[in-house]
Amino acid sequence: MRSDTILKISVAVFVGAFFLYLFGPLIIMSVTAFNSSAFPRVSPFECFSVEWFNVLVNDDKLMLGLRNSLFIGLGVVLISVPIGLAGALMLMQISPRVRSWYYTIVISPILIPGVVLGISTLVFWDRLGLMFNADYDSFFYNGIFLTILGQATFISAYSMLVFISRLQRFDSALEEAALDLGATHVQTFRKVLLPFLRPAIGSAAVLAFLASFENYNTTVFTIVSESTLTTVLASKVRYGINPSISALAVIIVVMTLFGAGVYEIMRRREEAQRAASTLIAKAGDAAAVLGRKRRPVYAEPAMIILTLVFVAGLGTTFFAGTVGVDQCKVAVKEEKRRLAEERIKERKLKSMFKQAAPGKETGSKSGGGTGKVEAKGTEGYKSIFAPQNLEGQVESDEKPAEDKGKVDAKGTEGYKGIFAPQNLEGQVDSETKATEEKDKIDAKGTEGYKSIFDPKNLESQSGTNGSN
Amino acid sequence: MNIAQSIREFFLRNGMVLGLYLVIAVTFWILILIVLPQLYMLDFSFSKNLPPAKIGGPEDVHTLEHYEFFIRGSAQNTAAFNVVDLQVFFRTLLAAAFVTIFDLALCYPIAYYMAHVAQGGWARLVVLSLIIPFWVNEILRAFAFRIMFGSGGVINGFLIWLGIVDEPVDFIRENVALYAGLGYAFILLMIFPLYNAVESLDKNQIEAARDLGSPWWRIHWRVVIPFAKPGITSGCTMVFMLSAGALAAPQILGGPSSLWFTQIIYQWFQTGNNWPRGSAYAVVLLASTIVFVLLMMKIFKVRLGEIAR
Repeated sequence: MRSDTILKISVAVFVGAFFLYLFGPLIIMSVTAFNSSAFPRVSPFECFSVEWFNVLVNDDKLMLGLRNSLFIGLGVVLISVPIGLAGALMLMQISPRVRSWYYTIVISPILIPGVVLGISTLVFWDRLGLMFNADYDSFFYNGIFLTILGQATFISAYSMLVFISRLQRFDSALEEAALDLGATHVQTFRKVLLPFLRPAIGSAAVLAFLASFENYNTTVFTIVSESTLTTVLASKVRYGINPSISALAVIIVVMTLFGAGVYEIMRRREEAQRAASTLIAKAGDAAAVLGRKRRPVYAEPAMIILTLVFVAGLGTTFFAGTVGVDQCKVAVKEEKRRLAEERIKERKLKSMFKQAAPGKETGSKSGGGTGKVEAKGTEGYKSIFAPQNLEGQVESDEKPAEDKGKVDAKGTEGYKGIFAPQNLEGQVDSETKATEEKDKIDAKGTEGYKSIFDPKNLESQSGTNGSN
Repeated sequence: MNIAQSIREFFLRNGMVLGLYLVIAVTFWILILIVLPQLYMLDFSFSKNLPPAKIGGPEDVHTLEHYEFFIRGSAQNTAAFNVVDLQVFFRTLLAAAFVTIFDLALCYPIAYYMAHVAQGGWARLVVLSLIIPFWVNEILRAFAFRIMFGSGGVINGFLIWLGIVDEPVDFIRENVALYAGLGYAFILLMIFPLYNAVESLDKNQIEAARDLGSPWWRIHWRVVIPFAKPGITSGCTMVFMLSAGALAAPQILGGPSSLWFTQIIYQWFQTGNNWPRGSAYAVVLLASTIVFVLLMMKIFKVRLGEIAR
């Protein structure tokens, strides 16, 4: 009994972890889309904003890619659904001896790596173009044409699989009956087979479109000089990222959720209808079925609720995302500034303490700064006597702290007490110690301070600062 | 049974119009889209890298140089083998196998859970929620992993918060992000064949084994797994093929020092401007993956028809 509960708990934990793995990335990515921070991240969450959606919509390259992707998707649907249907019908009729060969060939595009399909399409049509002496403007070299063909190669196989699973439930006696009653082959096909296949045609088309829309491996070779959404995205992601890509992901996730909801509702409805019709058939009361009008899908209550929730969510999000964003941004900036100032005050306080304490500690601090404290760290102090410069430092401090907060801030810490004459000695002392310890703080850094009281030096140094 | 007769029968059965539609569509698919491009790519991989003007001229002869390059490296190379490319090739296969095993280990319990433990609406919800990540673009998924695994990302933040590490771990360089991303991308392709196979298992068999005193792990080892073998093989084959042939995830998530084999192919086409060599590499990839699939089918005694379901 005890081991049973342990097993149950571990199963629950495993399932939970699995779904965390499944949805965690999507949730995190979605959250970054609403953060006003210029780098996609969750924390620190600065302001809730929808500005990245604006950036996304105004991205011309991406929009061109999207248009091409939609066009290609449409082309792929138009080619691969008829081919898939023909392939499936052919499979039903072909003699068993040839069937396994046939099946192997038509199913192989699913297993062949997409890269290979893209390459073979590209070189094949390139060669054909050469054979026909075609222009470079002709379709042999047109990226969109090649992409449609390359994708249709394997997407046809997907749609064929959809048709096969539907055709397995087809009663061919219906077809025979129609033919016996004098219908032509075309009529039988149109009036008997196609209506039966209609759901399969719908799902094959949706599947084909989605598969085409998200394809990258084949497209990247066949697209040549054009672009699709995926190729634009890939180059964007590779060369620097910003949250507008997350915004796109949010749109896709929301659309998928919506689609899944619609699909589920339709499935439930179909099931309910089937149950009702069997019930009524049993009762022998067909009048009720005939009397009830079929509601269109969009008038289904669940559907209406789903749509309302969807629209309301969209509305509030955008309202919340546009109102008060600027204020929030200013606030965040202020906050950052305040934090930076606080940090500096803190440092000042610390250095006051250090004045009293022997310089040893200061030295170890500055030396501990990952040993990278070099010219950069010391730069700031050269003109440390100029009061107006101190302010500038506050300004500049803000940035590195935001970036990594690594070296620079640390580097300055030790020198705040530089005004105190008695501290200077200690510092020089400590500086040499640090040099011994870390050997990366080269003499350069310390050299400057030894003669720091020399008035001549002071002038020249503040001069360099001015040029900074 | 001769061919002419069966063709006539075919047209008699379908009528002229439909028969023509079937024949034309299927021929176009098989010949123009599938077979001829592959054959031409094979032929092209044996030709020299020439400018268009010289193609068909006296210099356009068949050569093995690209395959030789793959194994031996350039003429200046003093080593016996093209160490860089071969290493990338074998590492890709190995990593793809690793991703496959990872996915299998992750998905088998879930598939079993979906098929035999979860019930009613909950099971339905689980299936639906599996599909959603699959429709998010491959590149966006990789992007999500990059955000997560970056030095300022959530995972590093969490680890630092827990106090496990002090400095952010460079998951991208260590390829952790890549394996996690690849495994993520193909979960669905592993889980559905497994689910289909496990689901058709009669529950009575499991109960019988349990009644006879078999512990849960032996029930899986002796009853469920042997039954689900076709599903396991087909899921593994799909995942292996797709991760060995993946391009987007390695481009986005791959560490700077490690390449995926498809990236080398991509380079020969895009920057190397040597299409025949790229084709040769593509043929190598295709051949090795086919060999792998055949091997898997041989070992586990499954037919192709069972794989692509």
